Amino acid sequence: MTLTRRTLLKAGLAGLAAPAVAGCNNGAASRGTGEVIYWLWDSAQLPMYTECAKVFHEQNPQYSVKVEQYGWNDYWSKLVTGFISDTAPDVFTSHSSKYPLFADKGQVLPIDDYVAKDNVDLSIYQKGLPERWIGADGKRYGLPKDWDTEVYFYNSALSEAAGISTDQLNSMTWNPQDGGTFEQVVRRLTVDAKGRRGDQPGFDKDNVKVYGLGYSDAGGGDGQTSWSWYAAINGWKYSEGEPWGTKFFYGDPKFTDTIGWWRSLITKGYMPTYAQAKSGVDITTSFGAGKYGMTPNGSWMLGTYAGLKQVKTKLARLPIGPIGPFGSVGKRMSMMNGLADNIWAGTTRREASWAWVKFLGSQTAQDIVAKAAVVFPAVAASMPAAKAAYASNGWDVTPFLEPVEAGDVFPYPANPNAADVTAVMTPAMDAVMSFEAEPSSLIKANNQVNKILSANA
Amino acid sequence: MTATTNAPPISRRSHGDRKALPKRRRSLGDLRIAMIFLAPATLGFVVFYIWPTLRGAYLSFTEYSLLSAPRFNGLANYERMVQDSFFWNALVVTVEYVVINIGVQTVLAVGIAMLMYRLTTSITVRAVVLLPYLVANVVVALVWYWMLDFQVGIVNQLLTWIGIDPVAFFGDSHWAIPTIAGINVWRHMGYTALLVFAGLQTIPSYVYEAAEVDGSTEWKTFWRITLPLLRPVLVMVLVVTMIGSFQIFDTVAVTTQGGPINASRVIYYYIYERAFTRFDFGYASAMAMVLFAILAFVSLLQLRLLRAKESDLA
Amino acid sequence: MRLSLNSRREWNVGRVLAWASLIVLMLVTLFPFYWMLRTALSNNTQLAGHPNSLLPVETTLGAFKRVLGLSTLQEAQAQGGSGASVNFWLYLRNSLIVATFTTICQVFFSAMAAYAFARLRWPGRDKVFALFLAALMVPPIFTLLPNFVLIKNLGLLNSFAGIILPTAFMTPFAIFFLRQFFLGINRELEEAAMIDGAGHRKIFFGLIIPMSAAPITTLAILTYINSWNDYFWPLLVGQQENVRVLTVALGVFRSQTPQGGPDWAGLMAATLVAALPMILLFLAFAKRITNSIGFSGIK
Repeated sequence: MTLTRRTLLKAGLAGLAAPAVAGCNNGAASRGTGEVIYWLWDSAQLPMYTECAKVFHEQNPQYSVKVEQYGWNDYWSKLVTGFISDTAPDVFTSHSSKYPLFADKGQVLPIDDYVAKDNVDLSIYQKGLPERWIGADGKRYGLPKDWDTEVYFYNSALSEAAGISTDQLNSMTWNPQDGGTFEQVVRRLTVDAKGRRGDQPGFDKDNVKVYGLGYSDAGGGDGQTSWSWYAAINGWKYSEGEPWGTKFFYGDPKFTDTIGWWRSLITKGYMPTYAQAKSGVDITTSFGAGKYGMTPNGSWMLGTYAGLKQVKTKLARLPIGPIGPFGSVGKRMSMMNGLADNIWAGTTRREASWAWVKFLGSQTAQDIVAKAAVVFPAVAASMPAAKAAYASNGWDVTPFLEPVEAGDVFPYPANPNAADVTAVMTPAMDAVMSFEAEPSSLIKANNQVNKILSANA
Repeated sequence: MTATTNAPPISRRSHGDRKALPKRRRSLGDLRIAMIFLAPATLGFVVFYIWPTLRGAYLSFTEYSLLSAPRFNGLANYERMVQDSFFWNALVVTVEYVVINIGVQTVLAVGIAMLMYRLTTSITVRAVVLLPYLVANVVVALVWYWMLDFQVGIVNQLLTWIGIDPVAFFGDSHWAIPTIAGINVWRHMGYTALLVFAGLQTIPSYVYEAAEVDGSTEWKTFWRITLPLLRPVLVMVLVVTMIGSFQIFDTVAVTTQGGPINASRVIYYYIYERAFTRFDFGYASAMAMVLFAILAFVSLLQLRLLRAKESDLA
Repeated sequence: MRLSLNSRREWNVGRVLAWASLIVLMLVTLFPFYWMLRTALSNNTQLAGHPNSLLPVETTLGAFKRVLGLSTLQEAQAQGGSGASVNFWLYLRNSLIVATFTTICQVFFSAMAAYAFARLRWPGRDKVFALFLAALMVPPIFTLLPNFVLIKNLGLLNSFAGIILPTAFMTPFAIFFLRQFFLGINRELEEAAMIDGAGHRKIFFGLIIPMSAAPITTLAILTYINSWNDYFWPLLVGQQENVRVLTVALGVFRSQTPQGGPDWAGLMAATLVAALPMILLFLAFAKRITNSIGFSGIK
């Protein structure tokens, strides 16, 4: 009996062992010498880059590209794990907030030599974009492939019901003391549970049904889609270098006043509380359910807003600010950010990777991107095609373009210590926006940030 | 080969062998056989427990970004830890979590065990109560994240229906840790209850008969008799759940990621953040060393309590 | 063994309250599972608008189709999902392989070690045992990263061996658990066998193991559950498709939600799919599993 049981056990183990052994062997899947593995995070961009890969392969039959998509939340930790375990992708979509650290740690390849050797023409890109991808060490790490700015997405049915004209929405002014005509618009759009608007007597700020202005989080250290343009038109800069600074100015009154004003919108009932904004229902879903009158957001979200079937969304320009050069009237400014692709320093397929990066930065690829109407292409010549593609989807994207053409843009605050800065600023801003700390607490946070920067210098 | 036939008297219990063996000829005893039996486990122990601990200890004295070689920097990491407000916050938050989690879980587990003991022996009840334990932590966290949502979660809908204002379970810094503790309790209370239940079954019936003869009420019997007799079981449950509690990570990673405003940045999550997102592995190792020391201290403290594990029955 | 003080089955307040509590407990335990099902059967885009509905909102199998990779990109995006899917059968196979091998190896090697600590006599035995036990207190994250580096250096990343190895040989809990039981086995039987000329090997396989069937089964079940539900280590070591287990796949699916709102219906469907194998196993062996938990070394 024991023998039979033992034999069964052994047979069972052997049977299970086979697939396990097979499984042991498949770690290094064999891939061709010309095959490039490419990562991106936005599922909406997957189709157009798959198309680019197809065209690239047709033009360069000796190379091929395998595109993989992982969501933003896990993208960076998977990438870092890949760096550590030598299994990182050859080329990956990168972001201004992340690549400086990778460059600092020697994980991404500088492309200056390749650019010089192949005589890549950098003038075809929108003004200011190529410089964004020169690191703090002066080396170039990517070719621009798209760009984005911010505007307000507003619910046109709600604005019409409030009697606010399109002209009003596109000529708002702002200042940190009373919010200018912008705050008046927001106030008018806010409706309480009994139907009273924010500028009507008896408005109940504790029982609001529709908020005039929505937001998704406290903005961390960049505030890209929440407060960056207010601070900018107030005359504030993130750091003394643009972008590579050695100290930040989060303690500057121009900034703390801006945040103080922004937070006051919650007190007045025009914006939801922090807890509500951060709940599992995100800003676009709430907007789509008619809970917000206006939401600021980036141009990469146009597709998402288009998918909100229950509201008719329109675009409004950012407000004009109080500070102007030579005492003139202020201007509207927007952050301009742009993505590029980095090559992993440990790649074994350098030529193929460079060929792919060069192709993605070329007009051929950018025209494909333009036609997909998901993001704005970095190549200036592809922009008309993009405009037309967006127009056929019902979007007039001029509000996004104007600050770029006028040169009234400022860069994302990139820094090799971005992760550490975020780790300090995000809780600090969260605390201010949930009324657990005053805007003046940002001075202390700024000191912490500067201490980190000087320690790592 | 015949085994030794000089077996000691049968009455000697194996626990007594710890004291000096009078018969020297057994000094090596079964060492050779023992080594064979122990070989695989020792291999695993040395390679996957001892070596990493030693290496972790070494790394805590270095600056290490995981992408290049470690650089020795003496006590710098430990000095930094003393001044790191995030670290102290993490300890406070973790202790808060452990206290709430253990407290509520133990009370509920005893209550559930008593219910199962006195009301029904139905296997269905026991199976249902055990069900949450079978599901992975990340699954549980995700489901509760959805159910407790501030705007569309069913729990808040129920609260508004009763007339209470919705609660931002994950968005309010005062609620974050209690909520995470609550989720953990939901998952583990059945399992813990079954452990206590088994302990209840070892209490002999004559104790209860005597109490009934003396005219004791249910409540009194529970407090004066059942609970004291459960002491060894409860202590074991406490030890097991305490060490596990300090290791809370999955739920935080899925729901709050340390927020809001550091309210749920438990020590494990902070160590993970430092190691993997900020490339500060040396510092993370130093914190892990400190955590190890704390756990060792707490466990030793509990082992002292365990000495009182003799049953009051004897 | 169960004793009822109130042997007269009268319905007093206490009893009613007790039953009410039990019912509430069962509801609280079961409701989240129902809610997972209800959400998974709903149309994702309608979810935010109907939070109170106890029944699925616009009942549809869309979420399950998305999760199992049976729907097209358009269908998925129409319901608010992305093109992501869970290659269910592959990940199920992977989880099965990892959990089964881990359980078999761990239980077997730990039993051997427990026997050495419980029934064999050799110098320094209890000190070494205390050392093994001390490993219980080492925070997993401490051993995690050096183990990761070791597995990487051995070239075992993204392989089943890499995922299974660290716990395949022993865990302190397993040895502790089994040792307690082996200690309780009557020495007389063992000595009788020894007098009959049996060596330790025969005693172990022929006597100890069969007599300890119950605690060994318990340990095996517990190990299987823990291994199945393990997330962090397989996440670090088993990223590639061919070795990815269900819990990691769930994490990947969750991270692939579209830039806008999360695909809650899809997420709930994915969690159901990930939890299903364990639940089915449980339903099949409910009685045995539930009874086994009681043997967890109380003595």
